[in-house]
Amino acid sequence: MRIDSDFFRHMETPRLVHLSTTLVGAAFPMMKLMPARYILDQAEKSGEVKPGAHIIETTSGTFGMALALLAAARGYKLTLVSALSLMDEKYRQRLAMLGADVIALEDEKGDGNQVGRLEQINRLRLTSSGSYWTRQYDSDGNWLSYARLAEQLVVAMGKIDCLVGCVGTGGSLCGTGTFLRSLYPDLRIVAVDTHRSVLFGHPVGKRVLRGLGNSVLPKNVRHELVDEIHWMGAYPAFRNCHRLYRKYGVFAGPTSGASALVGRWISKTNPGMRIAVIMPDEGHRHAETVFNETWLSALPNWTEKIASAPTKVSTIAPLDEGDWTFFNWSRRTLADVMRSQKED
Amino acid sequence: MCEIAEGVAASRIGVGSAIGHHGELMQGAFEGSDGHFYRALVTLPMRTLQSHATFELSKGHEIAVYPADRTKALRAAILVMERCAPSGFGGVLRVRSEIPVGHGYGSSSADVIAAIRAVSNALGIDLLPSTTSEIAVAAESASDAIAYEEEAVLFAHRQGRVIEHFGGSLPPFYLTSFKPSDAKPINTDEIGRARYTAEEIQMFRCAAGAVRRAVRNQDPRLLGFAASLSARISQRHLPKSDFESASAIAGQHDACGVQVSHSGSLIGIIVDAGEPGAAAKAAGIAASARNAGFIEAGVFAVNVEEVKGENRF
Repeated sequence: MRIDSDFFRHMETPRLVHLSTTLVGAAFPMMKLMPARYILDQAEKSGEVKPGAHIIETTSGTFGMALALLAAARGYKLTLVSALSLMDEKYRQRLAMLGADVIALEDEKGDGNQVGRLEQINRLRLTSSGSYWTRQYDSDGNWLSYARLAEQLVVAMGKIDCLVGCVGTGGSLCGTGTFLRSLYPDLRIVAVDTHRSVLFGHPVGKRVLRGLGNSVLPKNVRHELVDEIHWMGAYPAFRNCHRLYRKYGVFAGPTSGASALVGRWISKTNPGMRIAVIMPDEGHRHAETVFNETWLSALPNWTEKIASAPTKVSTIAPLDEGDWTFFNWSRRTLADVMRSQKED
Repeated sequence: MCEIAEGVAASRIGVGSAIGHHGELMQGAFEGSDGHFYRALVTLPMRTLQSHATFELSKGHEIAVYPADRTKALRAAILVMERCAPSGFGGVLRVRSEIPVGHGYGSSSADVIAAIRAVSNALGIDLLPSTTSEIAVAAESASDAIAYEEEAVLFAHRQGRVIEHFGGSLPPFYLTSFKPSDAKPINTDEIGRARYTAEEIQMFRCAAGAVRRAVRNQDPRLLGFAASLSARISQRHLPKSDFESASAIAGQHDACGVQVSHSGSLIGIIVDAGEPGAAAKAAGIAASARNAGFIEAGVFAVNVEEVKGENRF
C-alpha cells in the first residue's frame, strides 16, 4: 500500500449530513479525488503510467486540483487545459504551487470552450510522447471509482430508495447509481442539470451555475439510468447554499446547493422515501460570489423570481436562472427522448 | 503452531464434528485492509447437516482413514499430527457424514474440519478457528469459513484467512433451499477461477458493505440484497438454469433475497425470521419452488432460536 493512500482516501471520503430523518447528504471536501485516484491507481497497475509520466486532462474544476495533488505527491508532470472564464487567480495559484502546468484558452461564448480544449488535448498527445490522458469524460475509471461512495452510503443508510446527484461528466451519479442499483434494483435515480447545458437536451448557452452541466456530451453520462431530470437555475441553488450553511453548518458550493435542494423537494413530496444526495463541493471557491451579498445583488433579477419548487415540464427548453423545472426521463436514451420531443 | 500435548496416552480416541453449509451468501474478490485484492466468501452455515469424525491415536507411524476415499480428511489428519503430535504416533480416522456429496453443501470441507477437530481432540488440544482453517486450506486447495460456524467473516478461501470479521453472527433467517431439476453433482476441484470484471469487483465492495451493516444491525433483509447481488454476478460465471424463475418466486413472496452456492447447484431464498409468520412463508416458498419444477425443496433455520416442525430437510 502506498504511504499516500491513507490520507487521500480520507480526503476523498464525504462526511454524511442528515438533512432529514430519511434524507442523507454525502458532503465531499473534494469529490473528484475519488475518480482521479482510482484512474491513476489503475493506470499504474496496468503499467500505462510509469514513474515520472506526463499526465494531461481538460478541466476547469476540482478534477484538475485532485490530479494536481496526486501528481505532486506521486512525482508526475501535469498539464491541465482550461478556459479563461473558469479560472480564478487563487485557483491558478494553488495549481501553480503544486507544479501543474495550466493552459487557459479564450472562451468568448462563456460556455467553457470545451471543443477548443479537446483540440488542445489532442495537440498535447501528439507532441508529448508517453503522455497519459486521464479522460474523466469517457474513462470507465471515472464511474467505477464511485463504488466507494455507494459502499459508504450502504453502510450508513442500509436500504436506499432514491439517489440524487448533479451531472457534469456523469461519473458520480451514473457510477454511484449503477452500484446502488446493483444492490437495490428498484433504486430511483434523479439527475440535476442546469439551463443551457446540452446533457439532457437543452441548446448550449451561457451557464451561470457552474460545476454541473456541460457544453459537450461525455460518454460517462448514461441517460438510460436516469428516472427524472431537474434543470436547476443558479439562483435557487445559491439560495440553498445559504440555507445549508445556516441550518446545518454545511459550507457547500452551488452544485451541492442544487442537488440538496432537489433531494429536499423529493423528500417532502415522498414521505418515508430513503434518499441519498451527492454534494460534490465545498463553498471556499465561492466565498466571494455565492456567499457575498454584494456580488449576489448585482445579478440580474436576483430576489425577484427564485423558484422554491420545480415546475413539471413536457417540453425540454431552457428558462431563466431563477427557474427550476423537471421532466420524467424514464430511463430513456437521449436520442429516444429527443425523437419524442420532435413528435409532440 | 500448536503446543505438543503432554502425556499423550498410547491409545486415545478424539471426536470432532463440523457443520455443512448451503454454499455462500457472497463470493467474489474483495480489497483487504492491506490494499490487496483477495478471492473471498461469506459462508452460509447449515447446522442441519453435519460430518462426524473419530480419531483413535496409537503408537506407530501409520495413519489410516475409513472410508478410504476420504483422502482430504486423511491429509488434514496427517497435517495436524505433523504439527502437534510427538513423533512415533499414528492412528485411525473414521469419518461419518450426513452431507450429500457434490451439490455445494461443503461435504469434503466438513469432513476435513471434523477430522482436524477429532485429531486435535485426541491430542488434547483446542485449535482456534483460524488455525483450523489454515490446516483445512492446506489439506484441500480451496475451503470455506465453516470453522467459524455462524460467526460472520469474510474469508479468503485460497489463503485460509479471514480478511474481515464482521463483528458478530449472521442475523436470524429461514432459508428455503432447492435445486434445479437438471442439477448434477459438481466436482469443486475442477471448477476454474471466475475472472471478475472491474465493475463486478466494485459491486462486491458494495455487497460487503451491505453484509457489514446487516450483521451490525442484525438485518436479514439487507443480507438478502447482498446475497442476491452476489448470486446475479455468479450467474455470469457459473449459471444455474431457472435462476430467473427462483428470483421471481422470491419476489412474489416478498422474500429478502436469493442465494446460490457459487460452486454448486443449490439455490436458497432468504426469509426474515423476525417477521410474523416467517416459517409459514418459508414453507409457502418451498411449495412454490416445487410447483415451478425445482427439486428437493425444504426449509431450514439459521440462527433462529426455536426450530419448529417445518424445519424438515
